[in-house]
Amino acid sequence: MDEHRRRNQIFSIIAVACLFLFLLSMHFYADDYQIRILNNIALFIILAVSYNLINGVTGQFSLEPNAFVAIGAYTSALLTLTPAEKQMAFIIEPIIWPLSVIHVPFFVSLIAAGVVTAFFGFLMGFPVFRVRGDYLAIVTLGFGEVVRVVANNTQTITNGPLGLKGLANYTNIWWSWGIAAFTVFYIARLVRSSYGMAMKAVKYDEAAAESIGINAFKHKMLAFTTSAFFEGIGGGLLAHLITTISPTLFTFFLTFNLLIMIVAGGLGSITGSVIAAVVITWGGEALRVVEEPINLGFVTIPGIPGMRMVLFSLILVLVMIFARQGLMGTREFNWNGLFRKIRAWTHRTAKES
Amino acid sequence: MEFFTVRNLTMKFGGLVAVNDFDITLKKGEIVGLIGPNGAGKTTVFNMIAGYYAPTSGTIHFQGKLLNGKKANEITRSGVARTFQNIRLFTELTVVENVMIAYHCRLRSSFLGAALRLPLYRREEKQMYEGAMEFLREVELEDLSREQAGSLPYGMQRRLEIARALATGPQLLLLDEPAAGMNPNETQDLLHLILRLREKYRLTVFLIEHDMKFVMQLCERIQVLDYGTTIASGTPEEIQQNERVIEAYLGEG
Amino acid sequence: MDFSLIAQQLINAVSLGSLYGLIAIGYTMVYGILRLINFAHGDVMMMGCFFAFYGIMIFSMPWWLSFPVAIVLTAFLGILIDRGAYRPVRNAPRISALITAIGVSFFLENLGLVVFGGRPKGFPRPELFAGIYTFGDIRFLGLSIWVPLIALVLLAGILFLVYRTRVGRAMRCISYDMETTRLMGVDVNRIIAITFAAGSAAAAAGGILWAMKYPQINPLMGIIPGLKAFVAAVLGGIGNVVGAMLGGLLLGMAEILLVAIRPDLSGYRDAIAFGILILILLFRPTGLMGEKLPE
Repeated sequence: MDEHRRRNQIFSIIAVACLFLFLLSMHFYADDYQIRILNNIALFIILAVSYNLINGVTGQFSLEPNAFVAIGAYTSALLTLTPAEKQMAFIIEPIIWPLSVIHVPFFVSLIAAGVVTAFFGFLMGFPVFRVRGDYLAIVTLGFGEVVRVVANNTQTITNGPLGLKGLANYTNIWWSWGIAAFTVFYIARLVRSSYGMAMKAVKYDEAAAESIGINAFKHKMLAFTTSAFFEGIGGGLLAHLITTISPTLFTFFLTFNLLIMIVAGGLGSITGSVIAAVVITWGGEALRVVEEPINLGFVTIPGIPGMRMVLFSLILVLVMIFARQGLMGTREFNWNGLFRKIRAWTHRTAKES
Repeated sequence: MEFFTVRNLTMKFGGLVAVNDFDITLKKGEIVGLIGPNGAGKTTVFNMIAGYYAPTSGTIHFQGKLLNGKKANEITRSGVARTFQNIRLFTELTVVENVMIAYHCRLRSSFLGAALRLPLYRREEKQMYEGAMEFLREVELEDLSREQAGSLPYGMQRRLEIARALATGPQLLLLDEPAAGMNPNETQDLLHLILRLREKYRLTVFLIEHDMKFVMQLCERIQVLDYGTTIASGTPEEIQQNERVIEAYLGEG
Repeated sequence: MDFSLIAQQLINAVSLGSLYGLIAIGYTMVYGILRLINFAHGDVMMMGCFFAFYGIMIFSMPWWLSFPVAIVLTAFLGILIDRGAYRPVRNAPRISALITAIGVSFFLENLGLVVFGGRPKGFPRPELFAGIYTFGDIRFLGLSIWVPLIALVLLAGILFLVYRTRVGRAMRCISYDMETTRLMGVDVNRIIAITFAAGSAAAAAGGILWAMKYPQINPLMGIIPGLKAFVAAVLGGIGNVVGAMLGGLLLGMAEILLVAIRPDLSGYRDAIAFGILILILLFRPTGLMGEKLPE
């Protein structure tokens, strides 16, 4: 089907190798601040790409990420804390068994985080996918609220409002970017496969999809649980990046950030989500400038804290009004397209000279 | 065992009776038409058979299995495929992709197998493509396989929808106004296409149409619906001379 | 369980429920004609509170002037949001309108944080409402009686608008079929603007009453009540104004009941609304009084 398959595969491998070398150089030369940004970018790539699967590819407008990230974070954290640490942290009420004795390596905790979150996604799917559109959004939003309330009140599992502190800082650029690369790889493969096409069919026209034998509910569930799995892993990474988690951390702000990313990148486009995750996370850092006083020499414009989010929300509304397709629309990056463009460009410049 | 029987099929929307006590039996290999003035309930019958509406009462049996109550995708996978009155293609996908998706329901690879591109999946993907191209050849659209489905002219979109329905491997094909909007040439081509497909894929065809010439030429039997009730049933000649049928159509003027 | 305790809780429930109902009215009206969940509705309520607050604090208006002015201003805000953000995406796919609504909600919240500041402010409670009355063993705030009364009056006003005026008739026509209504010469945009104005005004009234009852206001105060009011609207049957008030009352009662019977579970109070939502959607999606199935 694809005559350039060999060539494309080689280029993909070269690209991954370049990423590896880049990370290697960052590992030696970057300072803490830059490392932190790199980790954040990778984390948001994981979250944006997985969020895009249920939202953009399958067309089910869900607001679930903050709930699933929370579940993943708590699961992972509770598994990597040693029994001694747990005993110290749970000062109001002791943690329940068997959580009190479990202690697993970081990697295992991440897998567990993914699986547990996927399980919740599975359970949630039953009531959630009975409804469409706006209702789906509200139900998933409400679920985020429930997770927050439960985390705040189940002292014996989550330590309630106190949260969990002193988590080991396991997340480094190798973990975050390694998992990001896998996430992108897996989800891209999935979307290009027959299952991905079926999910898109559900998005485009659910009745028509049913008419050709596609079980819409099953495919929505597949997308939702896959998204949940990766968002859960993202949560585990997040927990071991910032080393302290509490119920107030996982607010709708997080979902909103991801929403901007997948919309601005193009709903349904993995490439778009990746680019948007990079640009917005980086740009978000850069935009902190707006919140600091700007010294122009002759006058100092006072910083306005919180202006960043105002700008972001304005950007979202403007994108929806004027550029609904986002950056990539539904298109994806592929080597064939790139080479075609390069050839056309060289052809044009050759003609002109 | 009868191939396809419908008994006492009734659809009520609140107080409105859209379809009343509809009966029909199809023999394997037949081409049967369902006609009637606008609003007679024809598409409602199709929607009930295909699983989009749950009938208020009545039964639908296909090859001995009870069909009513099942979901639309289950019914398709049981071997009953349909097209829509107002063409519902996936306009943003390519022509060949539209047909390939119809193979998805027959996929044996698992979710994981597809994502990891295991050998079984790779083979099936190839079969999907080749099978899809085969159906496109049947409807003479293979040259346009990479075009966006939404960019096709109307008549070709109809043919594509038929190809897509065929790709699910049906034994019974429900066509909802397949000739709508076609000129006489296209209609003749469609007629020959349906006959050819029936022959090659051993289909049974049940169709709704308004184009009388088309129906009379193509169908072996015709059933007439008016205000949800069957008013006549028989061969094309019998229907053409039936008083009540003529009245129902003229009365609509 | 003695009578005074029940009566006490009943008063609380009715008063809380009326507040939910007032806010729910705005959701249900907008959804009825546009099939859009106005995510920003809770934040519109918040703005109403702040308008009233600053009217008193900065412009030194007496409360009986500041409150109505705030309600009117909020009505205009609703119209502005419709015009500026929702109208341009009226013909876009539904998801676009939804995302836009979320964007507007976020915008208002963060603008509030920037302009008003995140620290909670104390909302003044005028004498008329602040009085505490005793009736046997029961003690309650005057406010607790005023709230349902005012809510009832406003509900009556909205019902009059929807069922007894030409504008209201146009609203109902639009909710059945916007295109046809447009073709019949109705200025659909104007009617939609009026709907937003009415809903926002109701929310502002609800917000001001809320702020008097729970006298701490902050820019994020609209989020949770907004969510709960939406559940109330669904419970009552989305699109139905009376249903919205009914749903609000039921939700208020459920919440108070839980806290009264199981005080140890009071931390889960906010999750009740969500639980109710799941139950409704599972077992009776049309709600108690609705005919429209949530699409």
